[in-house]
Amino acid sequence: MSMLDSSQLALNRREFLKTSGLVLGGLAIGVSLPRGVLGKLESTAFEPNAFVYIDRNGATTIYCGRCEMGQGISTALPAAVADELEADWSRVTVLQGDANAKYGPQGTGGSRSINVMLEPMRKAGAAGREMLVAAAAQTWNLPVEDCYAKLHTVYNRIDDRQLAYGELVALASEMPVPEQPTLKTRDQFRYIGQPLPRHDQGEVVVGTRIYGADKKVPGIKYAAIRHVPVFDGSLKSVDKTAALAMPGVVDVVEIPRFEKPFGSVGGVAVVADNNWVAQQALAALKIEWEAGPNGSYDTTQYKQLLVANVESPAKIEFEKGSLDKAFKQATVRHAATYVGSHLSHSPMEPMASLVWVQEDRCEVWASTQDPEGIQKTLAEYLGRKPGDITVRVMMAGGAFGRKFMCDYVQEAAALSKAVGAPVSLTWSREEDTRTGYYHSCSAQHIEASIDGDGKVSGWLHRTAFPTIDSLFNPAVAQPTADDLEDISKHPYGIASMQVESGLAPAHTRIGWYRSVYAIFYGFAINVFTDELAHAAGVDTLEFIRGIYDNNQDPQQKEQVQRCRGVLDEAARMAGWGRKLPAGQGLGIAVHYSFESYVAMVVHAEVKGDDIIVHRVDCAVDCGLVLNPDIATAQMEGAVIMGMGLALETEINFKAGAVVNSNFHDYKVTRMSAAPAEINVRFIGQDFRSTGLGEPGVPTLAPALVNAIVAAGGPRYRSLPIKAA
Amino acid sequence: MNNSITINGKAQAVDVDPAMPLLWFLRDTLELTGTKYGCGMGLCGACTVHLDGQAVRACMTPLGAAFGKQVTTIEGLSADGSHPLQIAWVKNNVPQCGYCQSGQIMAAADLLARNPAPGIAEINAAMEGNICRCGTYTRIRKAIVEAAVQMKGAVT
Repeated sequence: MSMLDSSQLALNRREFLKTSGLVLGGLAIGVSLPRGVLGKLESTAFEPNAFVYIDRNGATTIYCGRCEMGQGISTALPAAVADELEADWSRVTVLQGDANAKYGPQGTGGSRSINVMLEPMRKAGAAGREMLVAAAAQTWNLPVEDCYAKLHTVYNRIDDRQLAYGELVALASEMPVPEQPTLKTRDQFRYIGQPLPRHDQGEVVVGTRIYGADKKVPGIKYAAIRHVPVFDGSLKSVDKTAALAMPGVVDVVEIPRFEKPFGSVGGVAVVADNNWVAQQALAALKIEWEAGPNGSYDTTQYKQLLVANVESPAKIEFEKGSLDKAFKQATVRHAATYVGSHLSHSPMEPMASLVWVQEDRCEVWASTQDPEGIQKTLAEYLGRKPGDITVRVMMAGGAFGRKFMCDYVQEAAALSKAVGAPVSLTWSREEDTRTGYYHSCSAQHIEASIDGDGKVSGWLHRTAFPTIDSLFNPAVAQPTADDLEDISKHPYGIASMQVESGLAPAHTRIGWYRSVYAIFYGFAINVFTDELAHAAGVDTLEFIRGIYDNNQDPQQKEQVQRCRGVLDEAARMAGWGRKLPAGQGLGIAVHYSFESYVAMVVHAEVKGDDIIVHRVDCAVDCGLVLNPDIATAQMEGAVIMGMGLALETEINFKAGAVVNSNFHDYKVTRMSAAPAEINVRFIGQDFRSTGLGEPGVPTLAPALVNAIVAAGGPRYRSLPIKAA
Repeated sequence: MNNSITINGKAQAVDVDPAMPLLWFLRDTLELTGTKYGCGMGLCGACTVHLDGQAVRACMTPLGAAFGKQVTTIEGLSADGSHPLQIAWVKNNVPQCGYCQSGQIMAAADLLARNPAPGIAEINAAMEGNICRCGTYTRIRKAIVEAAVQMKGAVT
């Protein structure tokens, strides 16, 4: 067992999946608990649970406990509540909930919001509706069965009387909270499945949406920080003289490393009257650093080491059938090695929060994906109780997994404590790029065989990458058996398989980057499959269908069927097999991750050194889609992010430190590279709803690499294609 | 020397270091936070504002360079969010996180002021300096084209 403590467990993806059932059970109880604050309100409002609040005028507030970072969850989930509540959406205000257990789990990652929260939130809405209907029935002295709710009003089937929700709040508050409210059937949905506009777009386009970096309070001070450039290094010396002499500088504060997974790496910060002064004073510091044990980390050499570690036998974590036999009896054999790079999330809003530590309270306004993680980390840092840390969840200007960690919030707390004032800390882009929690660089080696019947008979898959587990337990020096399950449980039908883990000690902080390990698993599996199809002389689409069809495991039947479904739909959308001009080609990839299914066909052109993506066709099965427009936007974004990591986005280290610094040398997808067309279709809507924040990313890069080959270009096995 | 800048139609006296970039005067002094910090080097466009009607990067514009001039920020692009670009942005549900979108809209407004009917290549060229990490580019293109059509309709 690793060194994880109970709260960190919830932050570890695997453990999070394991424990979320329990958490969910707790919430289900929470939803049906009697109303705590209502007595004090004397029924001037109706508040059946944490998510719903209706005042005497019928004005309705729906709270979203999950964090909003652009994925649209604060529209999609509240709309589902409003649907079950039979509320008029035009009378609903959505508010972001502060950190509070009453909202259930709030850590927003792993594409879990819809998986975890859809049913409890629908129940919250349905419970409210049933109580309002019961109140009307009592008023009219009619059986509940004769009464029904529709758009903020309760009607009955006996006469033409009606009662508006606002008129019912007092009495509805007296009604028992139903334990198991009846949810709508699909034909009764009013908002679920409709492309409702995001609730907050109006504020965004006039510049009034407030992000973590924007929050102001009276007495606010601003800070700028420089971190220890090498992970596990330290501050050797700092000359503060010039900085302290600058007008407007409040203080220069040394922040020691806080040795928690989400704690500061350590650094020096300046607190000043405004950001500009803080930045100028920071630049005037004379700092010397001690590099420490990771001072020789060099990603060029490290990737060579990873390749060596996967091109020789490694630790066997999974075996089935007989690989030796399959390989001996093969009619076709093929082997290839794939390499991926570190990535920085680089959301457009760098790490930012405002913290005010006072004697008797601590208040945080943060762009975050994990308000509970902030409470936990600050409680440990300040020696207080998590419940005593008030966390106001601000709109996050992008996150992509980075804002699950709260090192930047802990730093702002350290500064606020030091100067006795509320401190707004926004990292510079350089610090954001250089001292993040990076997506693992990786190497994977695959060898496979095809038998006399044309079936893929054996698959050896070795992988090496520094793991996220290393953040929680530095002794973890290679992928764990759990990490490899996405390979061993991949729904291909292959009789003999062996999955091995190669050594890959971490020399920097590794974090969850949108789609996490599925980025390089999806890449290697899909590119290798295309190579294997070429080696076998079979059309790639036909070849992939064949591998899935060979899967006879009854436990994977649904997965196989849904993978096949999106594969066939993407191929159909793209006109797979159609003739294209010279220099152009189609590539296909399909991947199951985070409980959703995505297939993509990329139409690419190779023109000298240029690689142009003309069109991407995406077929998605994430079950019932709550909001097709928001879901489509998630896929469009995944395509753009996938293009970046395929073509030019990479973080490199030399002498232990990141060499990239800002958007001139950390290249991300810009407007001109965006495809002319991104088409998205949803199938499989009879299935339960699952998440879509991450599942779109893994298929773009392999589909693009396969398209480049189809266009007559080379086979790229190392990402990004245009490496520095 | 007139140490005053007209920001969204209102004269603002500047009593800080004229070397301070306009971005921080807007955000920290005036608390007009619609203009965003993204890179500090003119690489991402999140801080795009108009200086005498032309798009500039507020992070690279010293206050001194704006003395006596007119600055328009996202908060002042229209009185009530009714600029055709703002309407097209909402209609197409362009923003995801929204953090870069003030800069995107201000850059697009500058483009349409210079070129009322831009083609896709011209849109790409004009918007190349504005990064969106959420990946809203295809919707931005569509919204600009729609706004251009609307604005032409209004003129003729």
